[in-house]
Amino acid sequence: MESGFYGSSTDGSLKCKFEESGLANTHDIMEKAVRWFRSRSIFVVAYGTGCGAIEMPPTFTSRYDAERMGVVGVATPRQADLIILSGYLAYKTLRRVIRTYEQMQKPRYIMTLGSCPINGGMYWDSYNTIKKLDDYLPIDVSVTGCMPRPEAVIDGFVLLQERIRNGEKAGWEKYDENFEFYKENQKRVLGGHIDPSYETDWYNLKSGGKA
Amino acid sequence: MDLASKLEKLSLQLVQKQDYLYSVTVGFERLESLLLSFLNEFGYITLDSINCRDDLEDGFFTITYCLQTKDRDHVVMVQTKIQRENASLPTMHTIWPQAEIMEREMHEMFGVDFPGHPTLIDFALEYWDNMPPLRRDFDTLEYVNSMNPFREQRGDALDAKEEMKKKREAKKAAKLKAQQEAEAKAALEAKNNPSDEVKNEE
Repeated sequence: MESGFYGSSTDGSLKCKFEESGLANTHDIMEKAVRWFRSRSIFVVAYGTGCGAIEMPPTFTSRYDAERMGVVGVATPRQADLIILSGYLAYKTLRRVIRTYEQMQKPRYIMTLGSCPINGGMYWDSYNTIKKLDDYLPIDVSVTGCMPRPEAVIDGFVLLQERIRNGEKAGWEKYDENFEFYKENQKRVLGGHIDPSYETDWYNLKSGGKA
Repeated sequence: MDLASKLEKLSLQLVQKQDYLYSVTVGFERLESLLLSFLNEFGYITLDSINCRDDLEDGFFTITYCLQTKDRDHVVMVQTKIQRENASLPTMHTIWPQAEIMEREMHEMFGVDFPGHPTLIDFALEYWDNMPPLRRDFDTLEYVNSMNPFREQRGDALDAKEEMKKKREAKKAAKLKAQQEAEAKAALEAKNNPSDEVKNEE
């Protein structure tokens, strides 16, 4: 009976043990366990924007082998936990990235590589490139460098795993809370042409389709 | 050269740029017929690229058609000038299919119109509603600053030049100090230990 998360001992010794370690009830224990498992199983969709895409193959293959930490690549955003944006984003790319990000299931995380998503990098004065990605999407981990080496990318994975384990507030929660802020910024640079259109409620088209 | 004499009959001058590269300047009215005669009579069958240069001060665009022979040993640049305002060119996509996408790009980047072109729609940019971005009167910096403001600094930014100067001076001082210490140590050792000659005498 003393194994497992729902275990309860007759003399209450187990309860005392949990209280000592700061875990008040079984819900907290479950949450902690789920967070630990979640941190060890991160499925990545590598969205290769810009030059950072070249750092992905060595990171995921035998030389640096991110899989030993439970970080695996997948093909589609609907299967992924983490999206890696590896470089500058043109307006055209940003439109696709927003759509890709919103297709991912929660919990979802964003990691960026290089200095371009932070401050524009060497494309700071381009007429077609955004400067601060965190105005448009919530970033969980930014790996700096131009370009970061695979070691730095793996360091970013470790940091993300720590944050998931500690239960810190993730980017997707901030995105839900400040949805209007992000949508306003996106509309400012994309001119309102964001698919799918948020003026339309696609699930209730019969009742007028007004969201 | 053969081509030069042929062009001389059309009262055009061939200019050699490099050993395989030539250029010829032609008026806008004779452009299409000259391109056709390059294709059909002179054997320059491939259209490499169509380029546009913005001569803002003089008020025209310089358009360059790069044509290449079948053997890939000669390139001729056919140059013409068109007005910047309401710029328009004959489309070449019926003769060279690759011209379709080149003209589409030029339409997007410089605003040159091609009457009769089938697909003059967005190419690299999407929903662009400003002036074509590669025209020189388009103020890129102003547009960028209005769309993408800079990130606010954290306030701890340092002047790189001064910091490097400080670092170099500190390094120099440390080196000097280490040298002095080593000298002092050597002198002390010499004082404590009598020299080998003295030892031998004893």
